[in-house]
Amino acid sequence: MNAIVNNIGGMIQTNANSVCFHCGQPINGNPVQEKIHGKLQHFCCTGCSAATQWINDAGLADYYHLRTQQAPQASTESIDLSAWDHADTLAQHSRASDQSDDSRDIIISVQGMHCAACAWLIDRALSTQKGVSEVSVNAVTGRLHLRWQQAQAPLSQLIACLQRLGYRAFLTRGSELEQSRTREKKQLLLRIGLAALVAMQTMMFAEALYLDTSNEMSMGTRDMFRWLCFVTSTPVVFYSGMPFLRGMLNEIRQKALGMDFLAASSILLAYFGSFYQTLIGGQHVWYDAAVMFVLFLLVARFLEYRTRQVAYEQSDALARAQPYLANVFRGEKQFSVPVNQLEVGDCLCVNPGESVAADGFLVSESASFDESLLTGEAQPVTKQRGDFVFAGSIGSLQSSRLQVSQVGRDTQLSQLLYRVELAQLKKSGVTHYAEKIARYFVLGILLIATMVFFYWQYTDASRAFEIALAVLVVSCPCALALALPAAFASAQSALAKIGVLSFNNDGLVTLAKVDAFIFDKTGTLTQGKITRSEDRYYVEDHNAALAIACALEKNSLHPLASAFPEHTSLQANNVQLIPTQGIQGEIDQKRYRIGRADFAAGQIDDGRLWLGDGERAMASFSLKDNVRDDAKDTVAGLRHADIQVHVVSGDAESKVAAIAGDIGIEHAIARQSPEQKQAYLKRLQADGHTVAMVGDGINDALVLASADLSIAMGGGAAIAQRSADMIICGEKLERILQARNIAIKTQAIIKQNLRWALLYNAIGIPVTAMGLIHPGLAALGMVCSSLLVSLNALRLKNVAART
Amino acid sequence: MNILLVLIPISFIFLLLAIGIFIWAIRSNQFENLDSAALDILATDNDVDGKVKKTDAD
Repeated sequence: MNAIVNNIGGMIQTNANSVCFHCGQPINGNPVQEKIHGKLQHFCCTGCSAATQWINDAGLADYYHLRTQQAPQASTESIDLSAWDHADTLAQHSRASDQSDDSRDIIISVQGMHCAACAWLIDRALSTQKGVSEVSVNAVTGRLHLRWQQAQAPLSQLIACLQRLGYRAFLTRGSELEQSRTREKKQLLLRIGLAALVAMQTMMFAEALYLDTSNEMSMGTRDMFRWLCFVTSTPVVFYSGMPFLRGMLNEIRQKALGMDFLAASSILLAYFGSFYQTLIGGQHVWYDAAVMFVLFLLVARFLEYRTRQVAYEQSDALARAQPYLANVFRGEKQFSVPVNQLEVGDCLCVNPGESVAADGFLVSESASFDESLLTGEAQPVTKQRGDFVFAGSIGSLQSSRLQVSQVGRDTQLSQLLYRVELAQLKKSGVTHYAEKIARYFVLGILLIATMVFFYWQYTDASRAFEIALAVLVVSCPCALALALPAAFASAQSALAKIGVLSFNNDGLVTLAKVDAFIFDKTGTLTQGKITRSEDRYYVEDHNAALAIACALEKNSLHPLASAFPEHTSLQANNVQLIPTQGIQGEIDQKRYRIGRADFAAGQIDDGRLWLGDGERAMASFSLKDNVRDDAKDTVAGLRHADIQVHVVSGDAESKVAAIAGDIGIEHAIARQSPEQKQAYLKRLQADGHTVAMVGDGINDALVLASADLSIAMGGGAAIAQRSADMIICGEKLERILQARNIAIKTQAIIKQNLRWALLYNAIGIPVTAMGLIHPGLAALGMVCSSLLVSLNALRLKNVAART
Repeated sequence: MNILLVLIPISFIFLLLAIGIFIWAIRSNQFENLDSAALDILATDNDVDGKVKKTDAD
């Protein structure tokens, strides 16, 4: 990650005038200029320039050379952080440290950490603060562990320091969960460390036995070394090897043999076999094989754990959006209450920089919210009174009030989180299948090992046990069982990085096979946001006419309202929506109409939107739903890969044909009801195609459900309700291409992994059965095989970056 | 071979010492942040007492 440290830092400075020195965002409008080290630098905002100043003054300017990724944009807003000092917050989320002073420990989730230099900067910045005794930052998991004295340095002050640098701090979901995760990781490390240190010592003693090739060692010395090996290997087998022993017990209890059974039985056989040989003074002991096997297995497991951890942290970003305290108005007074005490109907006050605690409708006139955690869209979204605001979005610029409509588990955010968590727990069909194969494989190996044992019993009884053990150890069900989960875990994390949520692994498998895509038009190929083009006016005062149109559309829920975003002070009264015709309303006691030509202006309908008083025309507008910028490239990319692309829409013939021609789609079908769309899809499937349906997920749920793979375009957290295999967060259509690349690459890697696992076992088992490989060496071979599989899967993580 | 009777206990002492140090390292979060330590060597010098020296290049 931090290999080519100076490269990007240098790049940032070369085109420093167009992008911000601190955060690297392009500078719009007037740059803020500031002298840094005698050189004039440009910043996008005062927040970023202040961050740089602060970093410089603290002597941490090296950060700019060390970083490999851009810094997050620093905020200019002054944010009320007093909630961090709230007694409830401290009691719930931090605990007294085991030091004698009154310091406390807390784990904070930090957003905006991109590379090791960020962790370095935070570490240095916080540890120079008074009252802070310990800081540790993990850039991979985005966690900050802090030990501080509340009396000397209030937590809010430390968080303010983070905010100044542009990082955003969040309380973690639950301190118990965090602590148990840290404990789990520490225990795993301890197991590996102990196994490594003690295994070395055991091998040292075992080496003495091996070097005695001509049997010159006295019986007493030999037995002493054997007992020493026994003493050292015992903690490795029973402490470090505990996860496998426990796994074996579970598998026996569930009557399903798996990886752990084979691993643990090999370990125990080697250990107790050696112990038996030591007692009766037999010819061989294999303590070294037992400890090496434990060590190697643990290392493989640790790597798998890291892969899983990274995937988990990706989805955990959503959980950060859930705040702990919320400000509510009850009566005329403002209270700070824990989120779980919020009720529907409460009036919620959201200050700039605060997360919205519950779903609700905006009561203030207008406000903007940062929905980046939900959609990946960095620009704040402006909302008007009555608009729906999602829990988890962050207030920006001004404080606002909301009326709470959904709390706790009912919020869209919670439901999305729940679905993602469920998807992570759920085993997909393919993984299930792989595990089943591994189970038969384990049975087969046990059978082969028994046969090998009896064969050697007749030919060379002294080596029978050793060779049977080596067969058990060398066979590697891990590579088989890991081949799929490892690949899927890193594919999921690669998908999450580009903003694609995949709810099951089967979808990933299907995506690689899809050879026909059906797109919905509105909201999928187009932005779903209607804009005006080609205004024609038939009166002198264009602005007055436009203002009237805006006033009429302003208070309507008409889908065309978004075509008139201009602000107007005119107020329309008695506004009536006349279905299929248009809108009618009174402004300054005069009646106006907007809609079809015959309704609004007494003309012949020509598909344009007319404004008039019922007889005379004032203006006419042409309406257009803009095609997404990347639609053409996406379709071209799909067709380049020999995939059929269809567009099926409920819209009029001419509009669909125009868009299809525009972006190069051959098969365009218009005026389709959902049932007809479904029939069309079924016909394609009957022709032998694997069909993916891409829709906005709201009105085409029926079609989505019958497609082989359903992909929903999701803007906002409404995605929680949609039933799709995959969801593309944000507005980028070309992510379909990227996701397809990842899916294809995943298939390739799974195939490589399976092939490797089969090849390895096909060669390894016969060779070992012939007695050519020592159990210790067999353990090494087995572990290298599963390491290879895991590392191969990790290559997937960079696929998205390359496309 | 009697030297073994001295050397083996010594090896055990070293082993226990190493395990002890490892346990201490884990307990005191030495393995929490493995990435940014690699950057420290690239940063400008710090004073001995851990306080960061002011850079006065300008």
